[in-house]
Amino acid sequence: MSPPVPSKLLTDDVSLIMVLIDTNPYFWSSIESNFTFAKFLSHVLAFLNSILLLNQLNQVVVIATGFNSCSYVFDSSISVSPRAESLLPKLEEFVENDESLSQDNGSVDGVGSSLLSGALSMALCYIQRVFRSGPLHPQPRILCLHGSPDGPGQYVAIMNSIFSAQRSMVPIDSCVIGSQHSAFLQQASYITGGVYLKPQQMEGLLQYLLTVFATDLHSRNFLQLPKPVGVDFRASCFCHKSTIDMGFICSVCLSIFCRRQKKCSTCGSVFGQTQTQQDPSSSDLKRKTPSSS
Amino acid sequence: MPQVRIVAKNFMDMVASLPTMKLDKLYENAFICEAILRSLPPLAKKYVLQLLFIDIPVTAKSMEEWVLADGFSKHKVAIDRLIQLRVLSETVDRKKDTTYRLNPMFQLNIQKHIVHGGILPREPMPSNITVRIPSLEELDAYAIRQWECFLLHLISSGEAEKTTNISPSMMKVFQRGLLSQKDDKEPPMLTESGFQFLLMDTNAQLWYIIREYITHSEDRGVDSADLISFMLELSFHVTGEAYNVNTLNDIQRSIIRDLADLGLVRLQQGRKDCWFIPTKLATNLSICLADTSARKQGFVVVETNFRMYAYSTSKLHCEILRLFARVEYQLPNLIVGAITKESLYKAFLNGITAEQIISFLQQNAHPRVAERIPSVPENVTDQIRLWESDLNRVEMIPSHLIDEFPSRDVFEAACDFARECGGLLWESSQKMRLVVKGESFPQMKEFLRRQKQ
Repeated sequence: MSPPVPSKLLTDDVSLIMVLIDTNPYFWSSIESNFTFAKFLSHVLAFLNSILLLNQLNQVVVIATGFNSCSYVFDSSISVSPRAESLLPKLEEFVENDESLSQDNGSVDGVGSSLLSGALSMALCYIQRVFRSGPLHPQPRILCLHGSPDGPGQYVAIMNSIFSAQRSMVPIDSCVIGSQHSAFLQQASYITGGVYLKPQQMEGLLQYLLTVFATDLHSRNFLQLPKPVGVDFRASCFCHKSTIDMGFICSVCLSIFCRRQKKCSTCGSVFGQTQTQQDPSSSDLKRKTPSSS
Repeated sequence: MPQVRIVAKNFMDMVASLPTMKLDKLYENAFICEAILRSLPPLAKKYVLQLLFIDIPVTAKSMEEWVLADGFSKHKVAIDRLIQLRVLSETVDRKKDTTYRLNPMFQLNIQKHIVHGGILPREPMPSNITVRIPSLEELDAYAIRQWECFLLHLISSGEAEKTTNISPSMMKVFQRGLLSQKDDKEPPMLTESGFQFLLMDTNAQLWYIIREYITHSEDRGVDSADLISFMLELSFHVTGEAYNVNTLNDIQRSIIRDLADLGLVRLQQGRKDCWFIPTKLATNLSICLADTSARKQGFVVVETNFRMYAYSTSKLHCEILRLFARVEYQLPNLIVGAITKESLYKAFLNGITAEQIISFLQQNAHPRVAERIPSVPENVTDQIRLWESDLNRVEMIPSHLIDEFPSRDVFEAACDFARECGGLLWESSQKMRLVVKGESFPQMKEFLRRQKQ
């Protein structure tokens, strides 16, 4: 696999950063410490400003990942003001919109997950457009600032985004702001060669961002960056969208199911009858174990 | 391949060579801190960010832990550059541990910029006062026109249609190093570095000129630090906005007039006020300080039959091509020429090398052919190199002829000695004469003196 354009045409450190911010209101209201969304935002804005400061060709695009929707809220290449603060009005508008969508849907149990798959796809679409814009473009990467727990229902969409990012050589960096590790983001960063980090001290988020995530792709070859300690490789089944560590896999299309099926719901292949007599723990039952986490 | 860049990192060196006092004073200006940060190598930028909110000195050892083994040389370069620019100060304590800390003024300015946002260097004028503000496209066209006009003046003052207001003495300063004049009757010739200069992208050329302008500022009684800070400030203005000239001091007003001639700003006169509008060239000033690679679209197609098609409307391009090719005809958007032996010999005589010509053709290859490998046909590049080596069949070596040896023995011994030290070029045992290389002549002299005793 080769990158779509010869990299010699690019300057070393010119980067395009797609930042996905988690605006899930259920997540932010569930946080017990006094690290509020406002504080989080002030850290992120300082980070974005510092990226824009490093090189005038650097480009920052912010995508807000809400509970029901996601949207571009800032693009430094078309923004009137060169400062990241100008994203605030749009972000506010987005949060209101997102909230009104929630009211139609009725109540949510627990924190709920935000629409990471949608935001990732939007980021990749944007990057593809940049790739096609010509031979001279900044080096793209995606940074997920994510806190909500994983939504197993989005498993397929997220995995597809991850593989598409891997194909176009776009690293996905993840900074987990919640209390739980995110298996999706661990896999995303592992597969695409990005950095996965769960900061210990939320108060120092800016320092984490500046130290780890401000590193351009060129400098990453020379610097010590956090290495993955363990990646949770567990998959979600296609039938009930629940996370499983043991399941059934269609031998034709590799769809994953938590229970035996007569027919694959994805590709329609009919499974043979001979195995029904056998113990389910043999042959077609494949174990996927978390290496550690 | 020869270095096409003659001004690689000179800006940094120039700032670094300023006296400590002046340098520290420069950092009081937030724009300079910003521009300096942008001009640093990527790793150094990263370090500045990393240290930005750390108020205590950091030991050299802990900084070394940040890098992988592969990156150690890059790390050294980054740290050295930071110290050279006095962005990092180095202290060695009693235990011989080296610690670094950011220049407090610099740190404060960058912190302020990141957290509170920068301020504009000066407020643009409201649009009800200013009239006839050119559109951005017009402004770009104006800047390019002014710049090309200036370049044409620079290489051949006869070719340019318009005259510039740059004083002949300034022009002389710019031309020094780029042109050489054997005697007054002949027109000045482009030197090797002059050719390299023409091959550079606009930003690099601009910086070369600005650098010359700054280095000779002291002759005009302008402090170079003031000039640097004004130039950098200018680069943070918004393109296309009008700024009142009255906000400038006297020195800056005289500078801005020169800059208008270079196409960096456009001066306009209103009913009451006079204002300047920075062009893209001015706002790009701080970009060209960094080591960015050329980002220019090519225009030249070279065919295997040595014909050359240049899709360009620029007179300057035509002049550059004329340096090494025979221009046959010019259409409104196309220059057609041929690379011939005669045209190349002319170029070689001017000190332009084959490699320079080839790299020029390759770098400016039209997008259609640029994708092909090689972008310039191999037979053409080979032939250009061959024609160059034709000229170099005779090699000149400074040498000394030694004769009138007292005896054949001394002559033989001298020959042996010369051969040993690798300086013997020619010998004739009949006439008892030998020729040695210039660099080994002192040794020979010493040897012969010893023989006499």
